[in-house]
Amino acid sequence: MTIEWTVEQDIGHVTLSVPPSNTMTMAFFTEMKALIPEITHLQNLKGIIITGKGRHFSSGADISELLLNADETIMLDNYRVLSLLEQMEIPVVSAIRGVCLGSAFELTLFSHFRLCSEDAVIGLPESTFNLMPGLGGTQRVAALTGKARAIEIILRGQTFPAADALEMGLVDAVVPKNEVLPFAVSFIQSLPDGFRKADRNVLLYKYLKPFNVNG
Amino acid sequence: MFQLKYFPESNPDRMQSKDTVFCEINDSIGIITLHDPPGNVLAIPEFIHPGILSRFISENDIKGLIIKGYGKNFSAGGNLDAIFDASQDPNHLASMMDEGLKLLNLIQDLDIPVIAAINRVCFGGGLEIALACHIRVASDNALLAFPEVNQNLMPGMGGTFRLPFQAGLAGSMQMILGGDTLNAGAAKELGIVDFIAPKDQAFEFALNLMQKMTHDRPLKVIRSIMAALKNASACTPEEAMKAETKLFCSLATDEAERRKKEEA
Repeated sequence: MTIEWTVEQDIGHVTLSVPPSNTMTMAFFTEMKALIPEITHLQNLKGIIITGKGRHFSSGADISELLLNADETIMLDNYRVLSLLEQMEIPVVSAIRGVCLGSAFELTLFSHFRLCSEDAVIGLPESTFNLMPGLGGTQRVAALTGKARAIEIILRGQTFPAADALEMGLVDAVVPKNEVLPFAVSFIQSLPDGFRKADRNVLLYKYLKPFNVNG
Repeated sequence: MFQLKYFPESNPDRMQSKDTVFCEINDSIGIITLHDPPGNVLAIPEFIHPGILSRFISENDIKGLIIKGYGKNFSAGGNLDAIFDASQDPNHLASMMDEGLKLLNLIQDLDIPVIAAINRVCFGGGLEIALACHIRVASDNALLAFPEVNQNLMPGMGGTFRLPFQAGLAGSMQMILGGDTLNAGAAKELGIVDFIAPKDQAFEFALNLMQKMTHDRPLKVIRSIMAALKNASACTPEEAMKAETKLFCSLATDEAERRKKEEA
């Protein structure tokens, strides 16, 4: 299995578990397609954390495998399954350590909040491989940063340290190394019920700003 | 130093009358220079013929476009006398403004990145051109304003429509109703400017940024990404997603093919 699913203190953890790179293979997407519809039906969960096992979140898709399987139907199917996370009524939080690139960063864009460690490295390098983001990244990055920055980020394909990602609005909080996971847990526990009805900016201000290393 | 390739000035088709605009190419980057120093006042709103611009881009496989002003300033805006003269015939004025608006819409809809490189003065029509660009780079000594209200006028080439996307309603009212002049820092704060370059260095900054975005990228990759980003604001999420998938798969097919050839 490339994903681990565990529940602790009523919080579900989706852990990409092919360390060290936690590469997202076709097997990963197949497992996600089976897992996500299941967990969206679970009652009594307070929230979901998406994270990577070991030092890194994930280096993204396996490019050579992806090139052989670039099929519109398969990709739209992957997208629709990940969208279920975004539609959940409980908070879905990405806890990002180390490298989080390409499809992996696109995966975090389906969560409601992105928390990362000081040493995280974020980016969408697809264009440097003559490709582009294909999991909704173009739309979601544009929504977060505005079109001008999105053009720069995606066409340049460069990677950023956590502080820059925070400044551009790509992530919501930067916390000290090794504290991301416990912080994600306490963040979920502190959120009010029905958080989806609350203004996201108010939530960010109230629950995340005080903890930001760079905020 | 980079090499500048000017179009032959003898070809009238390539240029506006009086050479009010220059087109040149540097490393597949198209550079449009507004030329009527010192203020680079726009003789007419349609500062370059849309057909000429389209051909300039397509015939030269241009990967990105930079719009700048000749000399020290970006542009002080439209020629008010020409506008008052044209207003003698309301139909003439309306069609003149409409041509300008269509040109700016064409620029905004281009499927290659367009950067406005703003040094010093960027007023009125000049700011309307800059707002039609995808990215605005301003030098730290740039000044941006919609001073039309001081002449009992208002922006007339989409400025009232485009500014709120960048500056919000309150910021737009401050600029359009108040006629306030903003320096580069204040303009960045309001969201009108995306990057600040050192004094008088907007073009150098813009060129460097454009090279980083386009140099090693095949034109198709650039166009696909720009198309997807346009869909992000123009389509429903479902439509945008379908389009993104399609664009991605087409690039992936090309890249798989290229790798196969490379291996063979």
